[in-house]
Amino acid sequence: MTMNFTALGAAQQTYDAVVVGSGATGGWAAKQLAEAGLKVALLEAGRGVSPKEFTEHMPAYKLKYRDHSPEVARTRPIQKQCYACMEYNYEWFVNDLENPYSTPPGKPFSWQRLRVLGGRSLVWGRQSYRLSENDLKATSRDGYGDDWPISYADLAPYYDIVEGYVGISGAAEGNVMLPDGQFLPPMKMSCGEVQLRESVKAKFGRTVTIGRAAVLTQNHNGRGACHYCGPCERGCSTFSYFSSPFTTVKDALSSGNCTLFTNAVVSHVNMDSEANKARGVTYVDRMTRQVKEIRGKAVILCAQALESTRILLNSSTRDYPSGLANSSGALGRYLMDHVVGGGASGRLPDLKTLPDANEPQRPNGIYIPRFRNTPSSTKETRFIRGYGFQGGAGAEFNFSAEGYGTSFKKSVKEGVYEISLGAFGESLPRWDNYCEIDRNLNDAWGIPALRICMTHGDNEAALMADAGTTAAEMLEAAGAKDIRVQTDVAVPGMAIHELGTARMGSDPKNSVLNAFNQTHDVRNIFVMDGASFVSSGCQNPTLTMMAVTVRACSHLIDRFRRSEI
Amino acid sequence: MKRRELIRAGLLMSFAAALRPTQEMAQSAKTPSELTPAQSGVDASKYLAAPGWRPLFLDEHQNETLIVLSDLIIPATDTPGAKEALVNRYIDLVLAAETPETQGAFLNALGYLDGESMRRFEVAFRRASRGQQDELLVALAYPRDAGGRTVEPDASSGTGHAHFETLKEHIVTAYYSSQIGERELGSDGGFAHGDYEGCDHTEGNHN
Repeated sequence: MTMNFTALGAAQQTYDAVVVGSGATGGWAAKQLAEAGLKVALLEAGRGVSPKEFTEHMPAYKLKYRDHSPEVARTRPIQKQCYACMEYNYEWFVNDLENPYSTPPGKPFSWQRLRVLGGRSLVWGRQSYRLSENDLKATSRDGYGDDWPISYADLAPYYDIVEGYVGISGAAEGNVMLPDGQFLPPMKMSCGEVQLRESVKAKFGRTVTIGRAAVLTQNHNGRGACHYCGPCERGCSTFSYFSSPFTTVKDALSSGNCTLFTNAVVSHVNMDSEANKARGVTYVDRMTRQVKEIRGKAVILCAQALESTRILLNSSTRDYPSGLANSSGALGRYLMDHVVGGGASGRLPDLKTLPDANEPQRPNGIYIPRFRNTPSSTKETRFIRGYGFQGGAGAEFNFSAEGYGTSFKKSVKEGVYEISLGAFGESLPRWDNYCEIDRNLNDAWGIPALRICMTHGDNEAALMADAGTTAAEMLEAAGAKDIRVQTDVAVPGMAIHELGTARMGSDPKNSVLNAFNQTHDVRNIFVMDGASFVSSGCQNPTLTMMAVTVRACSHLIDRFRRSEI
Repeated sequence: MKRRELIRAGLLMSFAAALRPTQEMAQSAKTPSELTPAQSGVDASKYLAAPGWRPLFLDEHQNETLIVLSDLIIPATDTPGAKEALVNRYIDLVLAAETPETQGAFLNALGYLDGESMRRFEVAFRRASRGQQDELLVALAYPRDAGGRTVEPDASSGTGHAHFETLKEHIVTAYYSSQIGERELGSDGGFAHGDYEGCDHTEGNHN
């Protein structure tokens, strides 16, 4: 189906939609809108990406510093806090020297981001979980915060669309806290993981399942099944994990209706104040520093939660002095990032499997859905909401074996059977966790930078304390020894699940977006990324972000059809 | 044909061909200087073996001491040891680019080793006899209290054991990240070894 909405001006083309950001959500927006016949301009702040630069099969000994490059430390002191930022691929991550932000004294925030076609979808962890009605309507149960203006029933059809296209491998479990989806065959579990699954089910009645991952276990939509080489974050020659450049963005471009602008660093949205409508965006060419404008009938921000909000904050006008579409004052507020740091690890001495350097590397772990404060569990007194665990078990080389010499060399190869669980806890939306423009700090393109102010609170700390206890008891049930318990609260940002700052809501007085990601204040501005989240749940958010985007785009296409935009 | 062979036989090419439109678009916008050396395909594996190699950070004595120590910690057996893997050269390269704290900790540890050797045997570690070297390393590697019980290692304590662990960590990292180290662990150098098979045991029978 193709519709003709095109209205080409002679001198300056006006696109139907300007999409800012080419990652997981921007790719979907470009695909949906372009395939429906809208003329789309897709803007990416970074360069393009080619499969020729994938390095997943390059052994570490071919790197000059074997992943201890001083260039990474010099140019990416913040980015290297991300496990995926390596000597192999650091150019995909932003240069921290060119992309500064500030934080208040004593309140660090680790902002890990990429500027390259596909954004973080190139290096993401690929874990893909649905939110449940318990997450979307949590306020109705415990009174904290606000319910989402949409229900699980509203989102479910869009989860189906996204999963069907992306390809999510996983196992159905019938767990009320973690709705099942359209799964490709699940990856297998190791012996230690099966042992954990059996003993945790028997002793606690909890579910241990294989991770639901955006990694193909069979050929799917023109992409190949996983060949189990391991390090997805360096790219994939068979395109087996989902990343937008080789899927949604490719589709958008193939439609003939989408024009891609790389190196387009968007500074702000331009307004027609008379009509109270956005006219398009201004960007700085990353290479030439030239300032350019792109016109569009609709502006769709998919730049990543904090970046989308930064663009709106930098777009203030006389009518919107504290940031565009910010009559509520909620823009920049309610910043969330899943709390991590709690968990446990140990050894399974009963399992005699030896580590094997030639074993296929499964790019996935196990998952334990939330079991605290569920409809069937007793209500916790120490905290509201809950957490899920990611983890894994397997034989590993024992590089920390005692001693030296021939016996040490032998011990390394005999290995140890390790098992670990790490929690991802719900991050409560709080007014005092926010971002704003730092008037004294610009990025390398002269665009005012963010000041990010976020701390985890008492509830998050209580979740991690409980997670240490429950992880240890589950590992013990599985027969683990030498159990090490962690109850830390990591620096905010370390989960790389930034959410909120332009939240949805039914009340324009305390939210930025309506239920279709359209700003309450300006009808042709949309924010379709994690900024729109009302609460965080404890599940990895990318799948939900994509489903929300597809739902919002369907609505936008309808409005175009009815000539309302 | 096995999956691995399929991939080598050109499966990769067919998927790459399917993606050509995006690729060309993307490449036209790419700046070669914004690729990492690895993304540009640079193979630096022969860098350390270059003729005329000189240390960047360590002095002659420190370098020679490190060669001796590394080959005691990971000796040649039926497989090559740390000396052949040029562990000293890799450590020197990394230390030259490291923070002053890491550089200082390494030199302190190496100096401690030599100091203990001088104190006990009146000879620098690298010139001590094999028996003397072992006597010292055993004392540092296996800390025991007066009753012969294992003492909990504490890497931050500044004890002889902590110094030993600092040196050992650098050596272990350098050795097992080398091509010799990869082979030592049994790697065949390949990257695709079939599907992940996982556990196929019945419940409670995982051994």
